[in-house]
Amino acid sequence: MKTLLSTTAALLIAGTAYAADLGDTSEPIKLAINEWTGQHVTTHVAGEMLKAAGYEVEYVTAGMLNQFQAIADGDITATLEIWSSNVSDDYAKKVEEGTIVEIGDLGLDAKEGLAYPAHVAELCPGLPAWEALKDCAGVFATAETLPMGRLVDYPADWGTPGAERMAGFGLPFKAVPAGSEGALITELRAATEKKSPLFIVFWQPHWAMSAYDVQFVDVPVGTDECFNDASWGPNPDATMDCGFSPTRIFKAAWSGTEEKWPAAYEILSNYQLAVEDAQPMMGAIDVDGGAVEEVVAEWMAANEAKWKPVVDAATK
Amino acid sequence: MTTLDAVDSTPWGLSPKLLAAVVALLTGAICLLLQPYAPWLFAFPAGWTVPATEWVGTTLEVVLNAIKPTMRLFSAAIAYPMEWANIALAGTPWPVVIGTVTAIGWHLGGWRMGLLGFVGFLFVLLSGYWEESMNTLSLVVVSVPLAMILGGLIGLLANEIPRLRAALLVALDAMQTIPTFAYLTPLLLLFGFGPVVGLVASAIYAAPPMARNVILGLERVEPEVKEAGVMSGATRFQQLFLVEIPAASRQIMVGVNQCLMAALSMVIIAAVIGGFDDIGWEVLLTMRKAQFGQAFLAGLVIVTFAIVIDRMSARLALERKRFDARISWGLFAAGVAGAILLWLTGVSAPPEGIFGGVADSVDTALGDFTAANGASLDSVKNNAMFYGLLPLRIGLDEAVLPFTWGFQWTSSMSLWLFVAAGLGGALLALTGRPVAGALLLIAVGILETGIANLPWPFVLVGAAALAWLAQGPRFALVVTALLATILISGLWERALLSLYLSGAAVAACAVVGGALGLLAAISPMAWRVLRPICDMLQTIPLFVFLIPVLMFFQIGEFSAFLAICAYAIVPMIRYTQAGIVSTPPELLEAATASGASQTQTLLDVRLPYATPVILLGLNQTILYAFAMLVIAALIGTTGLGQSIYLALGQADVGLGVSAGAAMAILAFIADRLVQGFAEERRKALGLA
Amino acid sequence: MTDRPAISVENLWQVFGANAASAYDEASGGPPEEIAAKLKAQGLIPAVRGVTFDVAPGELFVVMGLSGSGKSTLIRGISRLVEPTAGRVEIEGEDVLAATPKRMIELRRSKIGMVFQHFGLFPHMSVIDNVAFPLKVGRMSRKERHDKVRPIIETVGLAGREDAYPRELSGGQKQRVGIARSLAGDCSVWFLDEPFSALDPLIRRQLQDEFLEIRKRLNTTIVFITHDIAEALKLADRIAIMRDGQVVQIGTPTEIVLNPVDDYVREFARDVARGRHAKVGSIMQGGTEGIGPDDPGLSPDMTLEDALASCMKLYEPVPVRDASGTLLGAVHPKDLAKALQVEQG
Repeated sequence: MKTLLSTTAALLIAGTAYAADLGDTSEPIKLAINEWTGQHVTTHVAGEMLKAAGYEVEYVTAGMLNQFQAIADGDITATLEIWSSNVSDDYAKKVEEGTIVEIGDLGLDAKEGLAYPAHVAELCPGLPAWEALKDCAGVFATAETLPMGRLVDYPADWGTPGAERMAGFGLPFKAVPAGSEGALITELRAATEKKSPLFIVFWQPHWAMSAYDVQFVDVPVGTDECFNDASWGPNPDATMDCGFSPTRIFKAAWSGTEEKWPAAYEILSNYQLAVEDAQPMMGAIDVDGGAVEEVVAEWMAANEAKWKPVVDAATK
Repeated sequence: MTTLDAVDSTPWGLSPKLLAAVVALLTGAICLLLQPYAPWLFAFPAGWTVPATEWVGTTLEVVLNAIKPTMRLFSAAIAYPMEWANIALAGTPWPVVIGTVTAIGWHLGGWRMGLLGFVGFLFVLLSGYWEESMNTLSLVVVSVPLAMILGGLIGLLANEIPRLRAALLVALDAMQTIPTFAYLTPLLLLFGFGPVVGLVASAIYAAPPMARNVILGLERVEPEVKEAGVMSGATRFQQLFLVEIPAASRQIMVGVNQCLMAALSMVIIAAVIGGFDDIGWEVLLTMRKAQFGQAFLAGLVIVTFAIVIDRMSARLALERKRFDARISWGLFAAGVAGAILLWLTGVSAPPEGIFGGVADSVDTALGDFTAANGASLDSVKNNAMFYGLLPLRIGLDEAVLPFTWGFQWTSSMSLWLFVAAGLGGALLALTGRPVAGALLLIAVGILETGIANLPWPFVLVGAAALAWLAQGPRFALVVTALLATILISGLWERALLSLYLSGAAVAACAVVGGALGLLAAISPMAWRVLRPICDMLQTIPLFVFLIPVLMFFQIGEFSAFLAICAYAIVPMIRYTQAGIVSTPPELLEAATASGASQTQTLLDVRLPYATPVILLGLNQTILYAFAMLVIAALIGTTGLGQSIYLALGQADVGLGVSAGAAMAILAFIADRLVQGFAEERRKALGLA
Repeated sequence: MTDRPAISVENLWQVFGANAASAYDEASGGPPEEIAAKLKAQGLIPAVRGVTFDVAPGELFVVMGLSGSGKSTLIRGISRLVEPTAGRVEIEGEDVLAATPKRMIELRRSKIGMVFQHFGLFPHMSVIDNVAFPLKVGRMSRKERHDKVRPIIETVGLAGREDAYPRELSGGQKQRVGIARSLAGDCSVWFLDEPFSALDPLIRRQLQDEFLEIRKRLNTTIVFITHDIAEALKLADRIAIMRDGQVVQIGTPTEIVLNPVDDYVREFARDVARGRHAKVGSIMQGGTEGIGPDDPGLSPDMTLEDALASCMKLYEPVPVRDASGTLLGAVHPKDLAKALQVEQG
């Protein structure tokens, strides 16, 4: 899934802070640990802040898509890195029935789009301009897609943004759903090793962006006009002839959190993490093989100024 | 050829096989002829379908919400033993755990078993996944008794109330064939988030082997033993628990062994939900990063557990001999002493993994291999797609294109193909093999049309005809009804795609697996090589294989096809080997004394004799292929597997359960068809 | 007919176990008992220990022994169904143990037939296909081989059941198929491994009689294995008695019954009503002196019982004549009574 890596942001302290009760500190607050490293960092930093405030914290591994039932039931208290581009219908349902509440953005700019590993530019001259793809579809053709080129789309359960773009731009590509994130990464890895052509839907921040030198294709910025008005954009006959709508990364909690742990609720709501802080931690974990607990503890000790005020504002 | 037992008489004096083939052929031919006028014969009109998945979803949600409070109570109750097991296993110092396993191993099977336990768990320790592994074990420790109780109860019920038996057997089939992913969402809703869901899922999956062995064991108790119980004045309850169950204990222990293995194989699936920091989760994490070496290492930990548990529980089941308990206590004491020693020196935590370097180099080697052989891998894939899978899926008429085959398929080519097939069929019919002739025509028709484009009346009639041959008219009705359900629920197209992919994989497994099994049967050397590979393929989490397959062949059908084959080929190899090896020696002697050469003995005696066993292997291969379809959806296949994933992601109970049921229906039909034919062969050989 | 034996077995050893051949080579030299003891000490199983015998052309040679005596292993060694450890086997002058696998296949198709205790019928083949199997593997066309085996099936009394499958046959019928199959290749050497042991007594007697009928017509050389002394005495020209892998005595039925070499063989003969098996010829004296005036009409192939019955009141030697009336020798009635008493004792 998705990790923080290359953008920068600062840890913001929301202005609405006010001191609140700790609430029930005997029962642990449970934070969801999803399947990707960036989320582990995000969550562990938040967890340490809650511990500093005097709470007991438990980290619970949970599948990204399956965690919402648990949050709705209060089995998990909060999850701290939800991508708007990749959130199940279940989430909307739970928010609607009032069992889950959204608690603000994580403060991270994300980007999604049509992409390719850098070596592909040699195979299809003219990239990153999207028009170049019109003529080199054949380069990307495979047995399943002939005579069209192949676009590796998101797994089917994340939606089919790639297929919509191909239709929008009128590009001769067939979108093939990847099935899983592992499959997407493997495609990138194999294409890089083999120096073979690959056209893919991808996002940043993600560790693979730099690991496989992934570049985005230049397309018109995605706007509501483009999504709704066919005449807008390079293709006068179709919508979706532009980039993706901007992705939000946000947090959500069990609806009973505020009542049970008022201060924790405030801390989690106001918590934001900058990519410039997250990125070195992720590097220390994924590249240097450090344990997430140690890396986060080190960062917490060295950067007290960045998180202490949020805790203090809620508890004092 | 003898007539089939399932069918007594047929109209017009045709043999049943010929009649079935002709009816299917005619249906197919009529559909093809009418295609231009009645396109609805091919694509089932959306207007005729009912929103079954929604109905299922709504109904289930009502039911689930109604029983949710009870289930949550259960959930809360089961959390305790779960926690205790976890504390016991994860809290015990590792030298004590290893000492205990070694001690148990010694007690059951002497120094070999002891060594197996010791080396196995030492490997787990050194892999660096000790804590995760203990979490996994504690999941197994709780789920297996649960599955055993559930399975035992079902088995007893089927034994005591014969009227319920048929229904219970179908339930057992469903429990084994509905993919777990399909009901994870409802389970999540019912039991709440956490390891309990994984627990219940693995109990559902692991209970059937237990139940089947209980039924079989009780059935096989000597009638005289039962009668002796009755004549001793025992009540039914006493008969059961004092006489019959003890008499069946060996068979029941075999059930325990299979139950353990099934529970272990579900570990990874439970990890998809999470809530438990287990070894399956590790496999998933490394999978996401496409780290083959590391995923493989974590997978090997599961394989190690599987081997240790399998061998030890098999000993427990099949051997009465036990070894000196004093030495066991000594080994246990050594473990405790080791723990104390470590505690005194202050290094009680399990050590860091030492295989990281190996895993990395495996990973690098995979990358290098892909880089070096990119072109040849691509051409393998392209050839397989162009000349194998694509024609099978969409038919020659669509698959033959100038840039693949070098020419465009035209309708006159179709005509010529059918004329040639017709002549061939007529020739076969005239030389006394009309069934083969009809089958040839059917095969050519399917190849020309493609499985995914088959007209639905043909599929219905063809399946019903096969069912009639295999099990008689009642089963034919059942099959028709079940397929019609899929048809009107709007899952037909996806079902055909699943059928195509699993069908292609099963066909490939039958040919390649059969050949390997043959090789293993005639060359003990080959079997020595193949056997551990089979063991590993069956126990390692299947996800692990997706990475190298993807690296070599990218996302798509061919990769999915290979991944399915890697798993489903195992029973075909095993059963073929076992069937051929188990030919009675007197038959072999008779063949030799008649002057048959090795090859003649193999072809004329061993193979025909092994047919029923090989058919059972084929049956298993089919079920395995269906099981793997869901996992293959992770590398981007279409069909029912993808729907199940979609449903899991979207928490769509209706779609998940419906697609799961459709898959189970296909598996059920295939299973009963092959079993019917195997049974017929067994009867023909005088074995049943 | 030449003087050359049809089957000649010389010092045949069959040792089971790992590296049996080299272990045997090391142990060999000295009497079989010593070699066997050495081999057993190494954990090997010497199932057949230095067996030597000849079978004349057209002879029916029965090997008799209790289970575990090595008789089945012996016949498998001679027919090379198992590879003997050491020794020599000649069939019609050909060294069988030196034959190539290809030559063995030829021999089995054309020269050697074999019948098995548990029939060894192929369950997936009809009666006619089972019988024609040796011809099929010899690459004879379907029609030709079916035509050829039909009369054989008739001979064994299964006419009309050609298309039946083994599962539809009774035990006796199954063995008739087994016999027919072994005859399909026009064999001149016929091995039968306890062919009637798995059948019930009534059927067994019937098949024995039919077997003798068939044998009369075929004039093949036969090695017949059995554990049933009555069967051996009834069928055999000569009998070899086996114990612990060794042949302890070879002789005609009468010799075996009247002059058992040791207690083991005597035990076998205990329950047999000797009079029915021993013939007058076996106790006949060559000379003609002292023959009394009475001639009760004895012939050499008359059983002792019958002979005694016809000279109950005679006390002097009586003449024995062949079918044409030629005087062959004499028998003393008291010898007759004595011979019969031995067996009762």
